[in-house]
Amino acid sequence: MEKRLIKKDALAGIPKKIRENFTVFAPVKVEDNVVFKELEPQEEPLVGHYQNTKNAPKGVFFPRTEVMMRYVRTPKGVQLKGIEMAAADAVLFGVRPCDARSFALLDLLFDQEKYKDPYYIAKREKATVVTLACARVPYRTCFCTSVEGGPLDGKGSDVLITDLGTDFLVEFLTPKGEKLGSYFEGTPASEEAEKKKEEVKQKAEGEIVSHIPAREIKPILDVNFDHPFWDTIHKKCLACGTCTYLCPTCHCFDISDEMKYDDGRRLRNWDSCMYPLFTKETSGHNPRPTQKERWRQRTMHKFKYYVDNFNAIACVGCGRCVMYCPVNIDIRKIVEDISKLQ
Amino acid sequence: MENPYVPYPVEVIKIVTEVDTKDIKTFRLAFVNKEDEEKFKYLPGQFAELSLFGKGESPIGIASSPTNPGYVEFTVQKAGVVTTALHEMEEGTIMGIRGPLGNSWPLEYLEGKNVVVVGGGFAFTTLRSLTQYMIHEDNRKKYGKITVIYGARTPGLLIYKDELAAWSKRDDLELHVTVDKGDENWKGKEGFVPTVCKEVAPSADNAVAVICGPPIMIRFTLPVFFELGFSKENIYTSLEMRMKCGIGKCGRCNVGSKYVCKDGPVFSLAELDRLTPEY
Ligand SMILES: Cc1cc2nc3c(=O)[nH]c(=O)nc-3n(C[C@H](O)[C@H](O)[C@H](O)COP(=O)(O)OP(=O)(O)OC[C@H]3O[C@@H](n4cnc5c(N)ncnc54)[C@H](O)[C@@H]3O)c2cc1C
Ligand code: SF4
Ligand code: SF4
Ligand code: FES
Repeated sequence: MEKRLIKKDALAGIPKKIRENFTVFAPVKVEDNVVFKELEPQEEPLVGHYQNTKNAPKGVFFPRTEVMMRYVRTPKGVQLKGIEMAAADAVLFGVRPCDARSFALLDLLFDQEKYKDPYYIAKREKATVVTLACARVPYRTCFCTSVEGGPLDGKGSDVLITDLGTDFLVEFLTPKGEKLGSYFEGTPASEEAEKKKEEVKQKAEGEIVSHIPAREIKPILDVNFDHPFWDTIHKKCLACGTCTYLCPTCHCFDISDEMKYDDGRRLRNWDSCMYPLFTKETSGHNPRPTQKERWRQRTMHKFKYYVDNFNAIACVGCGRCVMYCPVNIDIRKIVEDISKLQ
Repeated sequence: MENPYVPYPVEVIKIVTEVDTKDIKTFRLAFVNKEDEEKFKYLPGQFAELSLFGKGESPIGIASSPTNPGYVEFTVQKAGVVTTALHEMEEGTIMGIRGPLGNSWPLEYLEGKNVVVVGGGFAFTTLRSLTQYMIHEDNRKKYGKITVIYGARTPGLLIYKDELAAWSKRDDLELHVTVDKGDENWKGKEGFVPTVCKEVAPSADNAVAVICGPPIMIRFTLPVFFELGFSKENIYTSLEMRMKCGIGKCGRCNVGSKYVCKDGPVFSLAELDRLTPEY
């Protein structure tokens, strides 16, 4: 695995250079938000000067809305016209380590042994993830170190860039990452740089102020599906779905059909376990009739079911749901409270 | 890469209205491309997504048996958007199916055992598939005694009437058909399924019960089987949850950490006990 040092002022030009040959997705300031989006020719990517994007970059591989196939009406019924699976050679530039980790978690689900999701995999395979480590921890709500990640963690990344103060350390973690080597002109990194990185890591991890007992609650969740605790968290929840739509690991979707005159398309759209209709059956029966069951599902899915199925926690500690919930429901507190249940 | 979301084109070759209320029909579908039939290798207990472009998809249990090749059958109750559109279809229409999905009835486990099949209402569909499969001449000797207990609210609501008549003439299958309430022409049994199960009292010795029906029927039937000595390991049922993808991705149909679409829909009661009671 190759490591290189590059000059600090060189970084800003790199995504634009990559853009000559790839579709680039990067953090861009749009009005008063920083969003992760496709970089347009006139746009300046933010490199280094941002905390994290409001939306999770998972949308590059698993878009909010995506056409799966198109069809057309014929005298014998409506028939398939074509399958939509556009995937460009893409570079995601400036992903944060927590969000890069979410790709590795989503791979576990969408790229299983049996039943592969071709829409996700096609885009994921053609993309290279260039991550900008959090040498300075962006928010007080960050808790990546509690969920097996870290501010300098490279899981899910192909290239990892770390600000060492004087220079950037660029680590090419995968063969895919190495292919971008020519865009990063610099000098081979010495052991000195390695030591420096370790210092930056210690310092960054020390800056994290939120800690949750994420693994520890698994055995408690295993035996407390019916605990009265579940009556205490959902009451102010508006079922707005913000927490799930911003979450880098939430993957639930709906499939729907749209037809105009003789042409139609089948789409998939993000959906949310926070919505009452999510599990409601045609008969009217709903196995999760109130917000209580839905919040229990959300908690269980992240901290128990995903662990049961994949031995991984389906939360990367980005803190988005904590920051943007309109009624301040805080997953950190929920996990903390669960750890104290009898 | 295979795309599990793309349905195989099928032609509706036969439609049978099963009940006098006309809201339950059986659709016989034939693959437009022969090689798709090869790929759609299924077992009793599995289901498929019936796909109507422009309307949507519905998960429906497979009502036919692989021992009858050349077509697949589904028995569908008219309920919402997709199932209503299905009911309006005519023979000759081309539609789609996606699958086969899910696990199956525990066919290997049933081998060498006596099998008690209990069905209520139109939930009899995959049990019909199972029964057809077991009584097929290639398979019959693999199973011990086969008892089928099937009930509906009225005689007009019994599905697969011709087939029931044919089964009643066989001597390698014990059939009990019952209705909650008969009419002037009804000469058969009257009584609820749980009561009939009690009367028939199948022996639990080396036996497995496979039960499907409305929740209320299941609730009253299970105690009868416990009383007869059936253990939770030897009672199987099939779950329903709202579904979309059918392949464990869309996150909609989980009961605890299991996805009904992928890990089910068939579970033994012992397995269900280990899951959360959220279905
Ligand atoms: C494994 C399995 C086997 C089934 N077998 C049969 C069968 O043999 N015959 C039969 O008539 N019905 C069966 N059902 C129920 C059937 O799937 C629903 O009645 C049907 O999906 C309703 O769709 P709709 O479009 O008509 O209704 P709408 O209310 O318009 O449906 C909206 C969508 O919600 C989903 N949905 C709604 N209710 C259910 C439900 N109970 N289960 C699953 N998805 C649902 C579907 O994706 C559907 O397209 C089965 C369900 C499951 C899960
Ligand atoms: S649950 Fe909240 S903190 Fe965890 S990954 Fe999702 S949005 Fe981030
Ligand atoms: S963001 Fe808050 S209010 Fe909205 S669904 Fe999530 S927990 Fe409920
Ligand atoms: S139907 Fe999508 S996960 Fe089961």
